Amino acid sequence: MEKVIDLTPVARPKTSQPWAKKSPKFLGSVALSAIIPAAITLGFIALAGMDFMAALIVVFLPIQIIAAALVGATVYGRRGILESLLVVATIFFSSFVFVLLGSVLWSVISNGAAAISPSFIFQNNYYIQPTTALGYGGVGHAILGSLLIVGLSTIVTVPLGLATAVYLTETQGKSKGIIRTLLQAMAGLPSVVSGLFIYAMFIASGITTYAGWTGSLALIPLMLPTVARVTEEALRLVPAELRNGALALGAPAWRAFVQVTLPAAKSGIVTAVLLGVARVIGETAPLVLTTFAADRTNLNIFSGQMGSLPTYLFGYIAFGFDESIKRAWGAALVILIIVAILFISARVASRTRTKARK
Amino acid sequence: MSVNADSNTVERRKLASKPFAKSDRIFFAVARGAAYSSFVIIALILIFLVGKALPALQTQGLIDFAFGSTWNSAATPEKFQLGPMLWGSILISIIGVVIAVPLAISIAYFIEFMAPKTLAKAVTTIVDLLAAIPSIVLGLWGAFVFSPIAAGWAKMLNQSLGWVPIFDNPEQNFLRSPFIAGIVVAVMIVPIIASITREIFSQMDRDIINASLALGGNRESTFRRVILPTASSGVIGGVLLGLGRALGETVAVLYVLNISFDINWGSILQAKGGSVASMIISKFGEANPSEISALMAAGLVLFIFTLIINSIASYIVAKAQPWKK
Repeated sequence: MEKVIDLTPVARPKTSQPWAKKSPKFLGSVALSAIIPAAITLGFIALAGMDFMAALIVVFLPIQIIAAALVGATVYGRRGILESLLVVATIFFSSFVFVLLGSVLWSVISNGAAAISPSFIFQNNYYIQPTTALGYGGVGHAILGSLLIVGLSTIVTVPLGLATAVYLTETQGKSKGIIRTLLQAMAGLPSVVSGLFIYAMFIASGITTYAGWTGSLALIPLMLPTVARVTEEALRLVPAELRNGALALGAPAWRAFVQVTLPAAKSGIVTAVLLGVARVIGETAPLVLTTFAADRTNLNIFSGQMGSLPTYLFGYIAFGFDESIKRAWGAALVILIIVAILFISARVASRTRTKARK
Repeated sequence: MSVNADSNTVERRKLASKPFAKSDRIFFAVARGAAYSSFVIIALILIFLVGKALPALQTQGLIDFAFGSTWNSAATPEKFQLGPMLWGSILISIIGVVIAVPLAISIAYFIEFMAPKTLAKAVTTIVDLLAAIPSIVLGLWGAFVFSPIAAGWAKMLNQSLGWVPIFDNPEQNFLRSPFIAGIVVAVMIVPIIASITREIFSQMDRDIINASLALGGNRESTFRRVILPTASSGVIGGVLLGLGRALGETVAVLYVLNISFDINWGSILQAKGGSVASMIISKFGEANPSEISALMAAGLVLFIFTLIINSIASYIVAKAQPWKK
């Protein structure tokens, strides 16, 4: 018996030509499906006086989903419905994150700008009560304290992280996997545990009282994973030919590293340091447990309590007076500005790297 | 080419290589020493926490410490039991992860597969920026800007879905609840999950995606049948990393949660909850020596919890990226 094969072609799916020009009908319906739900929602908010969030979830989202599904169905058929759902969900959730971030940034900037003045930046907190008006006193001592504490931990952590990254990339060590896992585990170390650890090691055991350097030590476990990992990535990006070339010319491994690999990875390492500092500059819990807070400027990191921006913020939120909250917003803005500067510098540093590689 | 069967018997010339110079040996030793320092740090943390926690664990008993629900340093004998805090931490982390996962996957998908290149770059920067905001700043925002708004959402949830046990709230006070703390934690962990998911997405083999599209798949079926299954283990690893961070979150939660030792099993809108890390920092200032020992024990529990979760997570993420050795 002869086998009959049906050779009539199946209809091509509508998605099979993504390059084809979109028909004006399609573009128009997409535009309509974007505008109409928003318009209806705005109408509900403006006319019926509905709560914004309620309107967003109860009115906007269902209408938007139905509208998008209708367009999807008319253009692509039944399968278009799910596709339109995916698009709506992706854009809705993504914009939700932007709104949250925008809200954080805006509230810190608008509230913080009201508190910031030269006296707020440069004066310290001595003689200042939580209810003192904003014209007096500020975070000068806290900025200096933060810089000293983070500076000391940077001095310790960067060589350590660099050498760890060298072990992970330049040597034939056998325990690379374990070290990498440990670094990952350390990256997830709760900051309060790091503070407890240093408290138990130095303060509870009576070696020292609250001091700046214990705070620096408490920041090391938090900073090390970031520095080591980003440095490792930077060293990995250096082409193998460069270091093999140096080795083939007879250079010992350490000279090949110092004179060839290190200069090639320089900007990546700068990025690593900046990101590491940005990671710990706002850490609060370890400093609360190890340096405590101070109202006076203390430039001696090896003795005496030391103020820092996060602990200042911590204290002033806890006071709970209007004036103290204003100061807290100001300090938050100072922290954010420092983080932003570090962050942008890191971006610039890594951009020069990508340019240099081209 | 014919292979000479005798070639194996011919004596091979030995490779001449000099042993490492002394300077190189020092170089490698320094690197090895630094690498083992992370081992030393973790070991020291364990040793000191265990050392300081032992007195409390001995007087309280391990099971009672972990699951009991009284914390009273004035009573004789003193009672330090962590149960409500432990459960509270887990509850908040679950809420945070449930909210953060769809947001993070959406952002990662948007960056990798939907947005044009310049927009994708900008969004990536924004997500990184969100990751860089210190938790205390988020705590300040959460306490004074976000809490009132979220309390409004909670009220709506309670009014419309109040008959569901988890949205039940007889006291009608919606501030400082695990729900709000969970959202604040979600804001903290979205960038972590999103950046790992994005990395996994970006390293996926483009050919299988193109193949799916060429076979008539659309965005949705490609996402559901191709992208998600391929990336799932990496995404799960990212989620676990986020979970670890959520468990250890300290100051941001402190300001938006009413810490209560009256255990709250799941009424997430009620103004009582717990968090191990926040409890440690809030009790530490006025603690007497035996209470400090109990707080150390709490820290130890937190540390072991996050260590286990993070190790599993990094193992999964590493497995999901076999090309990264």
